[in-house]
Amino acid sequence: MTDKRKAEEGAMAPWFEAARADAPAPSGDWLARMERLALDEMPSPRPDPAAEAAPAARRGLGARLGTSLRDVLGAVGGWPAMAGLVAACATGVWFGAVPPSGVSDWLSVSAADSVMTLEPTSGFDDVMLGL
Amino acid sequence: MPYDAMSDCSDETLLAAYAAGDPAAARALTMRLGPRAFGHAMRMLNDRAEAEDIVQEALLRLWRAAPGWREGEAKVSTWVYRVVSNLCIDRIRRRRGGHVDIDAVAEPPDPSPSAEQGLQDTARGQALQAALDTLPDRQKQAVVLRHLEGLSNPEIAGIMDIGVRAVESLSARGRKALQGLLAPRRAELGYDDD
Repeated sequence: MTDKRKAEEGAMAPWFEAARADAPAPSGDWLARMERLALDEMPSPRPDPAAEAAPAARRGLGARLGTSLRDVLGAVGGWPAMAGLVAACATGVWFGAVPPSGVSDWLSVSAADSVMTLEPTSGFDDVMLGL
Repeated sequence: MPYDAMSDCSDETLLAAYAAGDPAAARALTMRLGPRAFGHAMRMLNDRAEAEDIVQEALLRLWRAAPGWREGEAKVSTWVYRVVSNLCIDRIRRRRGGHVDIDAVAEPPDPSPSAEQGLQDTARGQALQAALDTLPDRQKQAVVLRHLEGLSNPEIAGIMDIGVRAVESLSARGRKALQGLLAPRRAELGYDDD
């Protein structure tokens, strides 16, 4: 109790002291009901940021595959870049299966005749003879 | 947050934890505020069932206000005391069957014969309570908050929504009235032997 309050109480101090010592207390049953009321009215817990940042190793296989796919997509430039890659692959496969006529002529035997063969080891022998 | 770690937390911190869905904060706040609010309501109403009803209503309002509570806006305990006080005064006025302009009452009324009879039969704490029950509402509220709940005058001013000087005046008038009411009982209740 502060000195100021004690001074204010004066002759009434013993009465107030008796009343403070005999403070009314609630029953345990009522307190338990108040606790239940508090819990019933309590808002739902917010998501735990620590759980959000949990390591991928603790997640399921599906979640990990999803994460890997997202990583790959991020690396190549997202879905538009992935669409371009798929189109290029499909075109390559198509050219392999049904090559255009101009490409076939270029790859024919006569074209192959003009290919010059380079053999680096023979050049090495020439250098050695020169020495 | 573990329950044991909450004894050092302020009411405001606990209320924020409650709003975030922490059950330990709900328990800690109930145990901290419930008994104090109940004690105040009992002093004001002198009726256990009514005190329980009123504090339940005040706590319900607190839980519902928790999500929108802005830190620094008000002390949680002051807010609870204010709600309990106002509900108690409403209840007392309904008991009397109408509105009483307490501020127009300069001095407390003389004790009724039933109050005098009650003082003769009660112990010290109960004698004070009986005398308190004869005071005008606002004097009683100021005296209870100041001398039985132990609050500071600025805190009481916030609860009663009046100035500090008005609080000092109300509690001074209340003490004077109580002294007059209880003086004849001093010898009977053993105070002259102290």
